[in-house]
Amino acid sequence: MIDLSKIDVTFNKDTPLETRALRGVDLKVPEGQFLTIIGSNGAGKSTCLNVIAGLTKAENGSVKVDGEDVTRWPVYKRSKMLSRVFQDPKMGTCEDLSILENFALAHGRTRPRGLRFAVAPNMRDTTAERLKVLGLGLEDRLDDKVGLLSGGQRQAVSLLMAATGDTKVLLLDEHTAALDPKTAEFVLELTKTIVSDLKLTAVMVTHSMAQALHTGERTAMFHRGKIVFDAAGAERDKMEVADLLELFKREQGEELADDSLLLG
Amino acid sequence: MSLYEILGTLETGFIFGIVALGAYMTFKILDFPDLTVEGSFPLGAAVAATLMVGAGWNPWIATLAAAVAGFGAGFLTALLNVRFNILHILAGILLSISLYSINLRIMSGPNKPLLRVDSVFTAFEGFGLPGYIINPIFLGIIVLVIKLGLDAFLATGLGISMRAAGANPAMAEANGVNVGNMKLFGVGTANALTAFAGALFAQIFGAADAYMGLGVIIIGLASVIVGMSILPSRTIFLATFACIIGAILYRYAVALALNADFLGFQASDVQLVTALLVTIALIMQQSGSLRSMFGRGKK
Repeated sequence: MIDLSKIDVTFNKDTPLETRALRGVDLKVPEGQFLTIIGSNGAGKSTCLNVIAGLTKAENGSVKVDGEDVTRWPVYKRSKMLSRVFQDPKMGTCEDLSILENFALAHGRTRPRGLRFAVAPNMRDTTAERLKVLGLGLEDRLDDKVGLLSGGQRQAVSLLMAATGDTKVLLLDEHTAALDPKTAEFVLELTKTIVSDLKLTAVMVTHSMAQALHTGERTAMFHRGKIVFDAAGAERDKMEVADLLELFKREQGEELADDSLLLG
Repeated sequence: MSLYEILGTLETGFIFGIVALGAYMTFKILDFPDLTVEGSFPLGAAVAATLMVGAGWNPWIATLAAAVAGFGAGFLTALLNVRFNILHILAGILLSISLYSINLRIMSGPNKPLLRVDSVFTAFEGFGLPGYIINPIFLGIIVLVIKLGLDAFLATGLGISMRAAGANPAMAEANGVNVGNMKLFGVGTANALTAFAGALFAQIFGAADAYMGLGVIIIGLASVIVGMSILPSRTIFLATFACIIGAILYRYAVALALNADFLGFQASDVQLVTALLVTIALIMQQSGSLRSMFGRGKK
């Protein structure tokens, strides 16, 4: 479903600040797979996600989604196939619009928008139905502006919005990192449910090794712009955080020292 | 103030209500501070006047042509910003100063009197009411129609895409909205409204003038700020209503300031009075609503 081939990304090229964020990355994610990506700060994991979404243009290499070469497609065009949930809960929803209007906007992602009223007559009921699953009481607040919701509520709404329409691929950029542990757990469980219910192809970037290993069915680790570890199936199932650290030490000949990389 | 003055102020209040709706679109909806209006307001006047006087066009068609020209001006400003990454404010300044020269070209001079030609207001002369009564009514209906049209548009699929493009561009793009196109279309439409208002203004006052755009940006902005700080603006319906009322109140505030002898202002002080009023409105907005400034309501 997603096919990255020989992706190079360099930031601040030809300046003293030149950083090679991705170095010849090849990554294939078959349809229906849930991949988690782990790595320390500056490893290139978020850059990789941004290359898929189109926010960052690759210097070399090609990006294919669902068999189509989207390397030169702008972000808004790619969003017909890819839906995203951001790290910052404020980013995924539009606070000046009501909950219902946000869903209407997400609805238009895969369908043409026109001069018809955005909120179709049946949308109120279907949206309320979907919000009821969250158990947050949001189904009674359809006309409230999203800006009135808490971070966790907004993130849950973003997830449901991302799963609106004919979504094929879900991109999650540390979408639980800004939430308190309890809410993070709730949003993560919701993510798993949505991905398996809708049989989505999903890529989740995370800072937490445990979360990476216990979510989805495949884990890739980025380090200095390259994938240094990629495991799925039985090999990954018996793996613990300690094993991952050990493996990293052996392969790279250096300790993985980074406070931001949560070991728990 | 005499009844004549009161109704005359209402008349210009309605015309600037249209400008205020344009300013609401750019400043509030698209978050695109657009200075093009300084040039597109006189552009509308110049285009309508020249077509009516020089080419003998029907005043209604000439007025619509003015709106089309305004759309073009706004579109170009947005294009400079979207396509060539020129800062929005700078793009607007570039367009408005070029429009100053263009307007002189269109009118082949600094102004164009509209003497002895039919205007859109001529059609109402036979209703048995004097122009100073019928004209505000006619303009009030026009503003209302535009307001309701804008309200309806902002509730459509395209409309909410435009609102999202202004409020949260990254999220809008992630939901498939072409943010650049929204700016092109939105800033274009706002300037179409402004030029339309300019065309009506010229027909009310009997002339188009290259200098009549001076301060239009501030008038539009002042109307939006004044209106939204004294009236509720929770929904689009209320916000656009507040903009129109803001435009009318603003005109009365200026008229009163210029009329009050003890303040010692004269007609040429109009720009100074405008700037003072806007500054006061902005400071009040910082410290809460106008109501809280007067001690009523909670802060």
